[in-house]
Amino acid sequence: MIAEETTKKIYEREDLLTGCQAVAQAVRLADVDVIAAYPIRPYTEVMDALSKIIADGELDAEYIIADSEHSQFEIVKHASSVNARAFAGSSGTGWCYGFEALVVTATDRLPVLFLVGNRALDDPGAFGVEHNDAMAVRDMGWLLCWVTTPQEALEHVLIGYRIAEDKRVRMPMALAMDGAFLTHSQHMVKIPTTEAVRRFLPRFDLGDGRLHPDNPISIAPQVNEDWVMELRRQNWDAARRARGVIKQAYEEFNGVFGERYSSPFFTEFMTDDADTVLIGLGTVCAPGRTAVRRLREKGEKVGFVSLRWFRPFPTIELREALSRFKAVGVIDRDFAHGSPDDGGILLHEVRSCLYPLKNRPAVTNIITGLGGRDVSIDDCIRMFRIAQKSKTDDKLDDFVTWIGVRE
Amino acid sequence: MIKRVEINYRGIFQKNLGKKIGSDIVIIASRMGRIGFSNRRYSDSPERNGIPCKYFAFVSHDLSEEELEAECGAKLDIDLADISVVLDDTMTKGVEPWGWHGLRPINEKVQEGGTLLVATRKNHEELLQFIGKKPYEWSLATYEGDPSFGGLWVFRDDLTHERTLGAVAGVDPDIIGIEAVEAYLREKHPKELFRAEAARKAYEEVRTTSRTVKLGEGIEWTHEVPVLPKWFEFSEGAAVPAVKRHFEMGPKGQARNETFKRGTTKTQRPVVRFDICTKCTLCWLECPDECFDPTTDGLYDIAFEYCTGCGKCAQICPVKECIVMVDELQFEDNSSPWEAYTQDRENYVEWAERKKSKGRYIHPFVTGTGLEFVEGEVVPIGGKRATPKS
Repeated sequence: MIAEETTKKIYEREDLLTGCQAVAQAVRLADVDVIAAYPIRPYTEVMDALSKIIADGELDAEYIIADSEHSQFEIVKHASSVNARAFAGSSGTGWCYGFEALVVTATDRLPVLFLVGNRALDDPGAFGVEHNDAMAVRDMGWLLCWVTTPQEALEHVLIGYRIAEDKRVRMPMALAMDGAFLTHSQHMVKIPTTEAVRRFLPRFDLGDGRLHPDNPISIAPQVNEDWVMELRRQNWDAARRARGVIKQAYEEFNGVFGERYSSPFFTEFMTDDADTVLIGLGTVCAPGRTAVRRLREKGEKVGFVSLRWFRPFPTIELREALSRFKAVGVIDRDFAHGSPDDGGILLHEVRSCLYPLKNRPAVTNIITGLGGRDVSIDDCIRMFRIAQKSKTDDKLDDFVTWIGVRE
Repeated sequence: MIKRVEINYRGIFQKNLGKKIGSDIVIIASRMGRIGFSNRRYSDSPERNGIPCKYFAFVSHDLSEEELEAECGAKLDIDLADISVVLDDTMTKGVEPWGWHGLRPINEKVQEGGTLLVATRKNHEELLQFIGKKPYEWSLATYEGDPSFGGLWVFRDDLTHERTLGAVAGVDPDIIGIEAVEAYLREKHPKELFRAEAARKAYEEVRTTSRTVKLGEGIEWTHEVPVLPKWFEFSEGAAVPAVKRHFEMGPKGQARNETFKRGTTKTQRPVVRFDICTKCTLCWLECPDECFDPTTDGLYDIAFEYCTGCGKCAQICPVKECIVMVDELQFEDNSSPWEAYTQDRENYVEWAERKKSKGRYIHPFVTGTGLEFVEGEVVPIGGKRATPKS
């Protein structure tokens, strides 16, 4: 009887953890084999936490300190190719310094999980959040998702490995979280039991793709024009298949841990009868939702959509969801200078996703919170005002607004 | 009207030579009021030793540059050639480019009535025992020469560059005319008039050696062009099946990956005198392509499909005359030398010595009538020796 109760127990304890520490706990629970570290703020704390977890004997893993991000990413890529579950991470320019390794990890289809603690790209030197760093891999065959709380961060390491390592996917996973606002922010986190994690996350098995003397294969060959297009076609297909695998993974996660997620790709807040919504990635959802509550008290029909998955982009689901509204304000904590609409990256993705609709909602863009500048509830109310106004505006040539900039 | 010339050359050794010839065909054609341009087969890897590669030169009398570019540019290979130049006659055994398409006959692109133009010391019959048949008549022309290293500055300029220009003019004056070639070379090298003379000599030579190859002449080409898999037919993540490390005593005893044979890159191959071999193992240890197979009697067999002809074994072998590099065109197949030796030792030794006497590979090369001997050294006609004799 006692044994049965133990297997049914989902959480072992509750603890106050930062986003980084929560990820470290999840890496322990996922029984990761190889970790490569190189310091850069704000992701570094995950490596501090992991070195302690290993030193305390709670995790049996190779922990390698690299000489740079480039080596760091190459180490985990190679570890993954011999069927080791591998973990690394970085931030800002560090992430970009290892970019060559990031590309080949995706083209070699090696499902390493990376934590990206979002940080502004230097220069000028800055520690605060901007999403451009993680966005750099958006077209390279990476899974890319943003989380908003330490609890979600912990769970998405497990969900991330589950999706990335699926034979139908085999793509590396970048788990992005806002620097400072999530990496360094402490919240109470429920830590699952290893038994519960094992029920959800199977052992990593590369199968025929495993580099081993018993399975002689040659990987990462030089191929030229005879092969490249076919390989790109494979990667394209895997990225498309990933959408279905993501849905299945969340269903299975909910099956083990209770109804944690109502929808895999994004979370809607007070949108049932809304005519105007804001959509954004990361921690901006906190002031955003609070603004929704305040405006709802005044009887305004507003809502908030927290987008979680950016790659693969949930095109069909998001199009269907946003088609219900009259106006959509897209919040970008990033920049895309000289882009078609002179707006942020997310703006272009959302507009492109809405294009096939006959009756498209009016779309406006807010660029805000760059370099770690805070986004307040009042800022979000201003964003709603801009989006609401766009419903009746005929002129939409100049629909990008910077909020929070000194002017 | 478009004239297409392809220049087949060996990676590294002839990459500058191949390019210079392609460039000069275009420059000379332009001086004649024709339109032309040159490019290379981009999938080639001319930075790798011995890999068969191609340069192209395209010439037209009537098309605009843009039209010519549209017909011939932005393509990886040409479909047909008016002239296929071969700067290394061992390529007549077939070429396997780096972008792997299987072993192709050297005259694959030679169109009906087109010409295979080979720098060689061999006669037509010797070459035709390696070259594939074609369903139409084509021409074979030769001009005397060895596989030239002339494009590498560290080796002696043997005038293969100028001689090839003359030979092309001799085959088809609609591409470049010999007077224009001579005028160009005289203008470019006013103090080295022997360059224009060498071009004229090669021009006259090919006009006598060129002959029509009749239907049915040449060999049956047995190598098939590989069918490349579709995108869903091979393993994900660019993984290629490899060969498990495996070893057996005896001929071809080592496990090798059949997908990665590089045997067609060789211009020379080792001939081994098994009867004087001391079984020191150095050739087996040093061979970079793992071609040597230990046998039960302690001798080492050679898998020639994988041998690139690098010559390391001959250099490392401590026994004089035991391993000697010999011209690749002396050999018809890749059969096991060790098996031949065990079957008839005396006959094998006689055969080995015969091959050595006929095709021993010695530097520097002597390239035909563009050169002369001066006190044992080979220099261009009218040219000066690099170091004056003390």
